[in-house]
Amino acid sequence: MLFLQLLLNGLQTGAIYALTAAGFALIFGATKIFHVAHGIAFTIAGYVFLFAWRADWPSWLGVLASIAAAMLFGIVMERLVYRPIQRHEGSFFTVFVAAFGVSIVVQNIIGMIAGRGFATVDTPLSFSAEILPEIFVAPMLWIALATAAVLFVALTLFLTRHPAGVALRALAQNPDLIRTYGLSSNGLSVLAFAIGSALAAPAAIVTAMTTGLNEAIGHHVMLISIAATIVGGIGSLRGAALAGMMLGIAESLALTVVDTQWAEAVSFLVLFGFIIFRPAGIFGVTQTR
Amino acid sequence: MTAFLINLATLAAISGILASTLNFIVGYAGIFSVAHAVFFGLGAYGGAQVALLLVPNPFLACLVAAVIAGGLSLCLALPALRVRGEYFVAASLGLQMVAATLFAELKPLTGGIGGLVGIPRPELFGMVVPVLPLALVALALILWATARLQRGAFGRTLQSIRDADTAAEALGKNVNAAKTLAVAFACAGAGIAGALYALHLSFINVESFTLDQSIQIMAMVIIGGAGTLWGPLVGAVMLLSLPAVISFIPFIPPTEVGAVQQIIYGSAMTLLMIFRPAGLLGDMSKGKSTS
Repeated sequence: MLFLQLLLNGLQTGAIYALTAAGFALIFGATKIFHVAHGIAFTIAGYVFLFAWRADWPSWLGVLASIAAAMLFGIVMERLVYRPIQRHEGSFFTVFVAAFGVSIVVQNIIGMIAGRGFATVDTPLSFSAEILPEIFVAPMLWIALATAAVLFVALTLFLTRHPAGVALRALAQNPDLIRTYGLSSNGLSVLAFAIGSALAAPAAIVTAMTTGLNEAIGHHVMLISIAATIVGGIGSLRGAALAGMMLGIAESLALTVVDTQWAEAVSFLVLFGFIIFRPAGIFGVTQTR
Repeated sequence: MTAFLINLATLAAISGILASTLNFIVGYAGIFSVAHAVFFGLGAYGGAQVALLLVPNPFLACLVAAVIAGGLSLCLALPALRVRGEYFVAASLGLQMVAATLFAELKPLTGGIGGLVGIPRPELFGMVVPVLPLALVALALILWATARLQRGAFGRTLQSIRDADTAAEALGKNVNAAKTLAVAFACAGAGIAGALYALHLSFINVESFTLDQSIQIMAMVIIGGAGTLWGPLVGAVMLLSLPAVISFIPFIPPTEVGAVQQIIYGSAMTLLMIFRPAGLLGDMSKGKSTS
């Protein structure tokens, strides 16, 4: 019974990880930018929703504000940080350090404004009910899973059917050819950042309603997104989402064997193992980098 | 005031060792490790246990620390041989997270969250010696070794690996051996810094060996200028004196000093990367696209 309960908890965590990891993978796949500030989009979205909730805004407005804030952050990062660096052929590490600098700054500003420590949005949706003997599930679990599923279907449809989505996939494969066809690779990378960052918002809202937010949560989210993207295989959205789900479940199920403190280490052991033994990830094409 | 300055100087020397050794692999070998605090921690726990259980001899503590950190540096060398770029950064992030958990949980060796307390003062020939001269000597030795290596054959091999490792291999350089040695040297140096840190503070816990610390060391190297001899040292002194400087600014409440410090160095990292990616002392013409 404990196993089933942990599995259900893991599904909820997994849905959150899958959404953020898919956002990270979309950005990385399309623009080749290792967007380590992705976790900050999550933090910003979560706190915007939290403040909207506290200000008694209707919840749909809070959700919209939160998505808009995440998208805005992604676009600002692309235009003001990544674009200037790439203009002078900055190496990947220059990009990494710049993005990490931004996340340190934003995290501390949020800590100063919103206060440090955990903050939660209390809703009846996160009250658990006993659905089976000894199995407690909150409506939030179904909402999280449904949101993740709907967004994935929408994202897949967008990437395969909509011209802009197809262009995004083309950008991932051959940026030079994109320019030859007269499409703007700059505009497309802004689009990738907007969509990728927006995917973090629903995950952040679910987190705010269940386990709660703190100012350093972006760090954790960023690490998990990187881990899921690599384990899933770089360039594969499906892989990243699946790996995110797996890492969430693994973290939760690991609790049957080890204490809570080890949960995060489990994800990174998986990552470390993958990098050493199968760097291409689950769905990736084997390539030596 | 003297005690304050001596403490600051000792910590600056220790950070200088950390930054210089990290610079050795980041700046010369192109191995972008964000797990340097792991080896700092290994050295600190190793050195502290020597002082607690055997004798508080600083040389023995440093030696043990260097052996432990240098030996376990294989954990970092292994992914460095397998993957590059983003993958390696992710692997070192993973190593850092797992190690921080281990430091917090292996209570018999590390004292857990509470840490190790009451580490005896270092003694030589029955006399208590301050850590500052030891740290300065160690820093000088490491800078000297870096300067020698940089000009010698080994340093050139490393730089060729950083700039084009396939070419280096084609010229008959043993890339794997060179990378492993460079990582072992850097991590052993971080271990020595750890032992000195433990002996200086006589209290250590996992807080000093987390990802934040690794990033701070990285920031010292980047802000000062990766791949330069003095840059990391300048970066270390700047970042360490930052809290002291901020605490003299009247309108910042003491509880926010840490946050303001982090905001300053975070924005310094970002702005430098946008406008001067080679760092303060770096040569702009050489700073481009060293991935």
